[in-house]
Amino acid sequence: MPALGVGVSQVSKQMGRTQALKRVDAAFAAGHVHGIIGPNGAGKTTLMRLLAGLLHPDKGAVSYSEQGEVVSSSQAKRVTGYFPQEPSLYPDLTCWEHLEFFRDLYGLPREAFAARAEELLQATDMAPFRDRPAGKLSGGMYKKLGLMCVLLNRPKLLLLDEPTVGVDPVSRQELWNLVYGFAGADMTVILSTSYMDEAARCAYVYVLDEGSLLASGAPRDVMQRFGVRDFAEIFLNHERK
Amino acid sequence: MNFSWRRARSIAYKEYKHIRRDPFTLAVTLILPLLFVGLFGFVIDLDYKNLRVYVRDNDQTSVSRRFLQEVASSGYFKLLPVHGQLELERALMRNDSPALMIIRQGFGRNIRNAQPGQVQLLADGTDNVQAGIMGTYIQGALQQAAAIFAKENPDISSLSAPAGERIRSRFLFNPELNSRWFIVPALSTIIIGFLAIVLTALTVAKEWENGSMELLLSTPVRPAEIVLGKLMPYFLLTFVDVLVVFVLALYVFRIPFLGSFALYMTACGVYITGALALGLLISVVTRQQQAAIQFAFAAGLLPSFIFSGFIFPIENMPLFFQYFTALFPQRWFLLISRTVFLSDAAPAVLGGALLAIVAFAAVMILLAVHKFKTDVEP
Repeated sequence: MPALGVGVSQVSKQMGRTQALKRVDAAFAAGHVHGIIGPNGAGKTTLMRLLAGLLHPDKGAVSYSEQGEVVSSSQAKRVTGYFPQEPSLYPDLTCWEHLEFFRDLYGLPREAFAARAEELLQATDMAPFRDRPAGKLSGGMYKKLGLMCVLLNRPKLLLLDEPTVGVDPVSRQELWNLVYGFAGADMTVILSTSYMDEAARCAYVYVLDEGSLLASGAPRDVMQRFGVRDFAEIFLNHERK
Repeated sequence: MNFSWRRARSIAYKEYKHIRRDPFTLAVTLILPLLFVGLFGFVIDLDYKNLRVYVRDNDQTSVSRRFLQEVASSGYFKLLPVHGQLELERALMRNDSPALMIIRQGFGRNIRNAQPGQVQLLADGTDNVQAGIMGTYIQGALQQAAAIFAKENPDISSLSAPAGERIRSRFLFNPELNSRWFIVPALSTIIIGFLAIVLTALTVAKEWENGSMELLLSTPVRPAEIVLGKLMPYFLLTFVDVLVVFVLALYVFRIPFLGSFALYMTACGVYITGALALGLLISVVTRQQQAAIQFAFAAGLLPSFIFSGFIFPIENMPLFFQYFTALFPQRWFLLISRTVFLSDAAPAVLGGALLAIVAFAAVMILLAVHKFKTDVEP
């Protein structure tokens, strides 16, 4: 099955008293790495949760497609991997126990799992830490374990909410290498980040501020449109206005 | 997506690992039942022994002395003789004894003439339980004395009158009304009704608070699989507690077990399931550990102690509460537990009670699954 494309049309979402998203339109083309960038409180997590089917839009719709064909949200959920920003692993379970747990949740056959788990452990350099509890992993290793768990199922859509937050620069680089290593024709990656320098690494960026989408497109095009040299300037200028 | 046993099992196995690595849960599960058994089985004793009772014998005959001897030999009373009216009044004023007994003049003569012997008992009504029990003891001692007296004096025809002319009370199944026999079989009701609810009340709320629920809900796992997976390990854990209490009841407290063991174990299984599911429901609805534990305490402790019949007999409650208690499985399980320990009642006698706990468990599981949110909407 090839990668999933995702469409967001006129999506609004209220979270408590805050209007978290205001009529957001976006089209995430299949097989690319997409970055949702914005400062804290921009609405990135709300958008990621909507894409993961964990929140429902008040207005508008989220749609999924595969080679132009519409895919239902329940079907899409089965082939979507989502790793939240907040710590969401079990501190007392080891890396290997996490992988086994997710193997059963995804219903993977044991042989296929063994090969995939080994492949992921090698790719992430996590093999020596397979028996270490998640609670005792460093920030970077913790994120890698989360990534391994959601990649076990070979998702067609990978959603990563701020995967590099709280991670040292070396691990950040490693995580990006991993994302690029696994992304391809059969997997669409959508990640959110508040690190402006990371925007340039994405094929397409979506600039989000205070719940509104300010711009989207290839990073270079977006910067040209705003007449800025880096993404931080976009938000600073927007704030001044 | 259909229900998957594999996913339910994986949740159960994960939960088992959490329990094994969490000394607090293990300690609570193992220590709490022992605490309950110790507290209710050893410390709280509703049987009164050596009650100080002042006695004024105005009759002073061999019959009255024989009666007093019989009362004293029961072991329940420590008789303190008082002489003269003045001393009697002083004893009354001192208020240092739960009762005062006066044997009227002519007690012995009446008995010899086949008339009722009259004894006045002044009991301190501030402790109504003690006063009631004392009345029962004195009655018993009177009957005992009468029987012995009849045996020793076969010539007195009145005491060998046909049985039908005298009232005889016999307590079936617990002839001595031993309170321990009454309390210990009920302890499983309290322990499960409290512990099981508290144990599961934390599990789902904990996943919401530590963020793992968001990741879990993004996988194909279904609410029914999470509910069932979380029930399984706690079911086994609580069942171990039931067996521990059962063994203590039989071998430490020497409570007879006359009913069907299979019936009792089945009832335990159903009752545990219902209590665990109620805990899960609380957890699913509150999504916060602190709120969940408060609800669990209220839902576990109150009905277990007050609405189960453990402390207050259901029959003595106002009619509304008699019906109200029917909503709580504690009431029905307590009935089953006491009945199967102390009598060999046919399973059909307990059919209604068994049906009630089955219905409760089923409703709780369905509600927990139904209320389980599959998204992170507030």
